[in-house]
Amino acid sequence: MSRFLVDRDGETHLRLAEGMELTKNQAVLAAVGLVALLIVPDITRFTPLSFTAIHRGILFGLAAVGLNLLLRHTELVSFGHAAFFGVGAYAAAVLASQFDVSSGLLMLLGSVLAATAISVLIGYFVAGYLDIYFALLTLAFNQVLYAFVLQSGYFNYSDGLNVRPDGLNPPALFGLQLSSTGYELVLYYLTVVVLVVSLLVMWKLVNSPFGRALDAIGQNRTRARFVGIPVEKYVWVAFVISGIYGGLAGGLFALLQLHVSPEPTLYAFVSGEILFMAILGGFGTLVGPVIGGVVLVYLLVQAPFYIEYYNALTGLMLLAVVLFLPEGILGSIPKIGTGLSRRRRDPGLLREDVATIGSSLRRGVSRAATTVRIIVFGVN
Amino acid sequence: MTTEPLAGTESNGIDRRTLLKTVGGSALAVALAGCTELLEGEQESAADADVPDEPIESGLQTFTEGAPSVLGIQAEYGAETAVRRINENGGIAGREMNLDVVEEGGAYLTNYQQFVDEGKDVTFGPISSSGHAEMVPEIEAQEVINVSTDGTVTTLYEEDFPDVTYSFRFQNHDVMEALAAVNQAVEVLGADSIDTYAGINPNYAFGQDEMNLFSQGIEKLTGAEQVYSGFPDLGTSDMSTHITEINGEAPDVVFSSCWGGDATLLLEQGHANDMFDNTELLVGTVLYGSANDMEEDLVDGPIYSGSRNFYWGEPSTDRWSPAADLVDEVQSEYGVVPTAHFMSGYGAVTAWATAAEKAVSLLGRWPEQEELAMVLENHGFFTPAGYHTMGSDHQGYSNAHFGELTWSDEHDAAALQDVNVFAAKNVSPPPGEISSDWIGSW
Repeated sequence: MSRFLVDRDGETHLRLAEGMELTKNQAVLAAVGLVALLIVPDITRFTPLSFTAIHRGILFGLAAVGLNLLLRHTELVSFGHAAFFGVGAYAAAVLASQFDVSSGLLMLLGSVLAATAISVLIGYFVAGYLDIYFALLTLAFNQVLYAFVLQSGYFNYSDGLNVRPDGLNPPALFGLQLSSTGYELVLYYLTVVVLVVSLLVMWKLVNSPFGRALDAIGQNRTRARFVGIPVEKYVWVAFVISGIYGGLAGGLFALLQLHVSPEPTLYAFVSGEILFMAILGGFGTLVGPVIGGVVLVYLLVQAPFYIEYYNALTGLMLLAVVLFLPEGILGSIPKIGTGLSRRRRDPGLLREDVATIGSSLRRGVSRAATTVRIIVFGVN
Repeated sequence: MTTEPLAGTESNGIDRRTLLKTVGGSALAVALAGCTELLEGEQESAADADVPDEPIESGLQTFTEGAPSVLGIQAEYGAETAVRRINENGGIAGREMNLDVVEEGGAYLTNYQQFVDEGKDVTFGPISSSGHAEMVPEIEAQEVINVSTDGTVTTLYEEDFPDVTYSFRFQNHDVMEALAAVNQAVEVLGADSIDTYAGINPNYAFGQDEMNLFSQGIEKLTGAEQVYSGFPDLGTSDMSTHITEINGEAPDVVFSSCWGGDATLLLEQGHANDMFDNTELLVGTVLYGSANDMEEDLVDGPIYSGSRNFYWGEPSTDRWSPAADLVDEVQSEYGVVPTAHFMSGYGAVTAWATAAEKAVSLLGRWPEQEELAMVLENHGFFTPAGYHTMGSDHQGYSNAHFGELTWSDEHDAAALQDVNVFAAKNVSPPPGEISSDWIGSW
């Protein structure tokens, strides 16, 4: 075995770093995912797929990865993560429009710092709360920020701020003032690098003793406290890390959209969407929220062009995920894969599936007939 | 730049050649001016041009839902009517036109980007001022022409983006309706009788822009003093605190640029709280935009409204058949009376379509985006609202209308009476000048 290949229980693992190993299947999926990310600009050039929509989806997915640290490990549901996304986006916009900062990377640094500050503050107040109280508090802070920005002349009310230091051109990236197409490409590959690094950091984090402690806190706070874990402090730290991911994504979003306004970045619905992205992609997985982000944002961008009642889309998808894919897209792949391979080995199972569907339908029709009979003729 | 060239003229008094020359040289331009009946047997000048067969793909973003849709759907009807007329009259240089419509709310950039990704030849909209400001740099970067239906903040082309190539705006900019309101107030009350004024305007770029320009104008013309200025949120559910302030100050003139649901709410709560007993006059630049949502009791009182660059009853429909035909068509097709926002959609499409046809006849082929943008600059064209020009600053210039709000039993809808028509040169600075500097120079 080489330095990068190690044997674990008779299976070869790819070793990326100390404590970071992938099975063969995981390594293949990761490689496919990375290649897919890298060729997105080429794919969208030759297909009707929208490059900007995918890019936006990845950014919201990055915010959802941050939120998932709380959701998956501490089992805390945040309904206010747009606060950090919005703060990150606004920090970049304020630097560009109020302080004439022209470097995109400086703006991104400002986004991270602002999101860190605001998540430290909010985290201090919410870390001691659980369940519905935690959810409502995060929502409340989100709404306070939204209302503040909406009423503030400094943030230009509902009109928002441009992220164009000279009023027309995008910020410089790596010291280069790029053309529109060049800027989009460089920003996209910067996003890919940020995403990969963020995922690796999150992986390392959740597999560290700190991550295990968060799992323990999520499973039972009282027990965690009794074994000596400083629960509130750890939740606070997790909250801040989660907020930093949101701020980073928001900063990149500002650089992509080049205009920031309250509704697409700070509104409570955006918080709901970020949460849904994590669930849709599979909140039990590391990369699932990114998949969820891309899928949901893409659908939300495209739907108004094709569906009249597009506002119902998120609700319908949420219903479909809860009823049919409770583990999300990525989380369901192993189950679907196992099911398919079992049916390949034993085609008889397909007959059972058909029979199950048939009996379900029969039961449904029978229930409906009974209901109609009761409505028309009464209980007797 | 006044726009009553054909008013009162009997159409059969003009020969075809003169008419074609007048409206810009093409049958399409005549059709979009609402004078199709004069075209029987007319040959298309661009018929031999090298033009692709496939239809023109266009996209419109507008408010199709919620309170702002009272304006947005009118713009949609207007754009659809123009496209229908284009296709019924052989298309643009023989090319039919398709129009996709999408809700603009909060998605201005993504909508425009999506239209561009779909390969649209041209895009129209939005209604929102902030959305328009958001879009302009992106339009310049993507290099696909957008003719904005509204999004009329004056500073957009005067100060924020004074040098654009692909971004245009058809509807009059704010300074025109704010100064039309000033002139209307002076005409109704007299400059000497206006000592105080107040404002209730929506709290975003458009409302602040309009209030600022109205204040400058009325102070310059009358020396009046501002006694109150309130900015309720766009789409608010309550204006009573602002109305109470007005009642307390009892200003001579109240100015408002509230629109959509906010306009009807202002009138409802104004009546309920006796605001019209405490002021001499309410001048609202876009109150009439909500005409199809108004009940008869709302229009009672000293209320005057602007109607941007189009009011269907001015000139009177018995003297101006293009408007009469349009009102009939819109009422039978959609069951509403067309408002200024109808013309926003109609005129934006017409501006582009007539410029495209002009470009084809100049070049002998379909123009590139940049070429078409050049033709659109200083392009003049007709609609049933009269004559319009697209200035070198990419701002559309037309007449501004203002009149007293009343009720039309004939149309069972709100209407305007005693409509004043202000020529663009009297309510707007020439292209290249800043409105506030221009008002300051009076």
